[in-house]
Amino acid sequence: MAMLTDSLVSDVLAYARERGADFAELYVERWKRRALRVLNDEVKEATSGVEYGAGLRLFYGDEVAYAYTNDLTREGLLEIAQSLTGLKGQGGRVDRRGRGGLDFRKAAPQGLHAPAVPWEEHDKRYRLDRLREGQAGARVAPEIRQVESFLLEWDQEVLVANSEGTWTEDRRVRTRHIVQTVAQDGGEVQTGFYGPGLSVGLELFERFPPREVGRTSGEQAMTNLRATPAPAGTYPVIIGNAFGGVIFHEAVGHLLETTSVAKKASVLSDKIGEQVASPAVTYIDDGTTPHGWGSSEFDDEGMPVERTVLIENGVLKSYMVDRWGALRTGYRATGSGRRQDYTLAPTSRMRNTFIAPSDTPVGNLFEMVDFGLFAKSMRGGQVKPGSGEYNFGTQECYIIRHGRIEEPVRGAMLLGKGPDTISKVVAVANDLATGPGMCGSLSGFLPVEVGQPHVLVSAIVVGGEAPNPAAGSVMR
Amino acid sequence: MSETAGDPHGSGRRMTLDEAKRYVLDAARARGIAAEVLGSRARELTARSHQQRIEQITQAVQGGIGVRVVVDGRMGYGYSEELSTAALDWMLNEAIDNAHLQTETDKFLPDGTDVGRHDLVGDGLAAPLESKVRTALGFEGTLREDKRVKQVMFASYTEREGDVTLGSTQGAEGAYRRGVAGVMASVVMQEGESLKQSWDADWVRDIRTLDPAHTALDFTQRTGRLLGARPLQTGRYTAYFEPKAFAQLLAAFWPMWSGRSVREGKSRLAGKRGERIASSLVTLIDDPLLADGLATRPFDAEGEPGRPLTLVDDGVLTNFFTNSETARALALPNTGHAARHYRGVVDISPSNFYVKPGAGIRMDTGVIVAEISGVHAGTNSISGDFSVQALGLWAENGEVVYPVENFAVAGDFLTLLMNISAVDAALKWEFMGRMAVGTPTIAVTDLSFAGV
Repeated sequence: MAMLTDSLVSDVLAYARERGADFAELYVERWKRRALRVLNDEVKEATSGVEYGAGLRLFYGDEVAYAYTNDLTREGLLEIAQSLTGLKGQGGRVDRRGRGGLDFRKAAPQGLHAPAVPWEEHDKRYRLDRLREGQAGARVAPEIRQVESFLLEWDQEVLVANSEGTWTEDRRVRTRHIVQTVAQDGGEVQTGFYGPGLSVGLELFERFPPREVGRTSGEQAMTNLRATPAPAGTYPVIIGNAFGGVIFHEAVGHLLETTSVAKKASVLSDKIGEQVASPAVTYIDDGTTPHGWGSSEFDDEGMPVERTVLIENGVLKSYMVDRWGALRTGYRATGSGRRQDYTLAPTSRMRNTFIAPSDTPVGNLFEMVDFGLFAKSMRGGQVKPGSGEYNFGTQECYIIRHGRIEEPVRGAMLLGKGPDTISKVVAVANDLATGPGMCGSLSGFLPVEVGQPHVLVSAIVVGGEAPNPAAGSVMR
Repeated sequence: MSETAGDPHGSGRRMTLDEAKRYVLDAARARGIAAEVLGSRARELTARSHQQRIEQITQAVQGGIGVRVVVDGRMGYGYSEELSTAALDWMLNEAIDNAHLQTETDKFLPDGTDVGRHDLVGDGLAAPLESKVRTALGFEGTLREDKRVKQVMFASYTEREGDVTLGSTQGAEGAYRRGVAGVMASVVMQEGESLKQSWDADWVRDIRTLDPAHTALDFTQRTGRLLGARPLQTGRYTAYFEPKAFAQLLAAFWPMWSGRSVREGKSRLAGKRGERIASSLVTLIDDPLLADGLATRPFDAEGEPGRPLTLVDDGVLTNFFTNSETARALALPNTGHAARHYRGVVDISPSNFYVKPGAGIRMDTGVIVAEISGVHAGTNSISGDFSVQALGLWAENGEVVYPVENFAVAGDFLTLLMNISAVDAALKWEFMGRMAVGTPTIAVTDLSFAGV
């Protein structure tokens, strides 16, 4: 269902072109969101809303002018077009092409990620009952003091039209169920977290039974309650599968976005065809994964998404390229233009990014480690593309001794420099899995999937607790 | 006449925020429902310079209206950016439907008063567009004067101005306007093989006090001194947290003082009022009325007037941040720290939150922590644990010897507060959107560092 008429969109784009813009793009969005927060079986907050706005982006060569508004009337849209073209000046050039109506080539979604169980199928009470099942599942021990659940439901309708005649509509329905658990024993307080999400409707509760989601979170909090601080130092680390992929999202993924590559502000700029990682690494960004948390049919520039092989057997094959990046670098656009919402211009971003599996059984990785860390579950991370320095937090960790998983440890942040870490990948296992996350960058916060099989890295700095000399002297 | 196709809400006429507020409150009154409406409209201008051209310019207005209703002691929320009668009706109906879902029946809207209309901006952001664009270009130019600057990812001028309007069926009524302007940049610097990237920003309330040339020199000096960094030996050292680094820790751990965290069993400070929780050198204050404060506001999201609050006094825990609901539940005074974006729910937030400056620091041997990163993933305000990546300088006997990198600093935040051994005399502010955090350099003994 179109949000604006052809003639209005055409007139706004033509207005900008006439006043000197080389390219004009209008992004329109209506986003219905619902959020439910339940704490210890009680509904703490229930909220519903509609976000509704448009962003107009103009190119003058590779310079960009961007404006957004919630006023989607003809007057409102022409006002931002006038304001933007005014900011850029007239450019001394009037282009009359497109006047009188652009002939749009229309593309609509095929429903590849459409929900099987749409919102309307169940009332709010049904949702609350599922969340309470999750809460019950989380209470795995008397030490579990707090269980907090969130249900996030997004239904985003998008229209992207541009002065080249693109008219693309997309609809993205996403659902996520999060259970966060707090365990307490005396003064010691620890947490557990599990939050599966997909581009699906309420069938999320069938794909991830709420009770299991809760149990995973609760058991993790209990593990952390028994954990001691991780030993500080540099040693081998096995990174767990699924959300463990966040390490490569930070250490490599962000370095391959044209946002930094085009400005030579990434340590991986100008390296296509070069060996940039261990041969064990094949790294793929796939926007087409059916129902993936980061999937859509079109990107936020109206281009069909694709599966992009970034690194194959350690050799750099492609960057993630948006329209601006293609203009600046000459690389082919890869359907990677994404934005949080209408308030931000799109930039090149990841979608569902993962390390391809090998045929090595997971056990073989552990057998290679005499002493190391098993980072089973991860929190988020951060990177500076210009220096490659990255870090990420861990949620559930164990010490590995002589190939065996032993006592749990906590509070370990892993850090290093991306190119160094990917060259130290010793082995990749065969058990690929993925997990959802929210990635923040220039164009805002976006749903992305990260993924990998278990991966062994020969050395990573583990930020834990350094031995206390005072305690050492007591031992003597 | 509307040209919006397929609009389920019919009329495309857009109301003003005040019209929308009145419409929703009247509709709620007609249905006998208690309601509170928060509307806001934000204006933004950003000019981003790259290689001495304005690479991107953004101009925008965004606004919307949020409602919360109480029906039979149950609370529900809704919001809309579409200001048509049909969209507002949908919003109110959803909010009422959401309220019915709640099982607790002790919810209420606070009694309010008319807290007036306030303009905190005045002509603070008034300048010709050309001079704002020149600010961005000049800022980048000064950054590039340092020969070690390999790339300026972006250098920009940004201003944000927001109008907030509040009203409720319980008598709350008020409005204010506030704004800030700032320059920000991300710079990659190089010396030999060593690369360092930093992101930095400087914000002010009055555009005339911006000094982009000075800020640029400060950025390149602070990033440049980290070039040629060496690894740090794993060990326990005294840490000297510079304001930029310590502000990030405070911003991550302030929820320990949130009445909501206390009420929901997510703060280790619960039940410790009157106890010593930090070194006696530590006094923590929040002042919503601070003159020139970047997060100054006359009243909170429920219409409660702002006033200064001492959270820790010479190391002793004295107060928590509350709003009407947490104050009632914890039997504490309402400190006026309700915070809400129209899209969200009423929560709690500090305003201008700061560490009271101390007598000064005499540096000895240890690590000067200049920057920390990975704060969102490496800190846990419930457990108090932190483990974050850091960059800094190694100091011996009060002298900076060399920069250090690729290490993490870890510990427990409450232990850290106890181990604060000195507080510097000069306060510096960081602006973090909803809140501003001020801190001097802070010395902490016996902290764990993980390196090689």
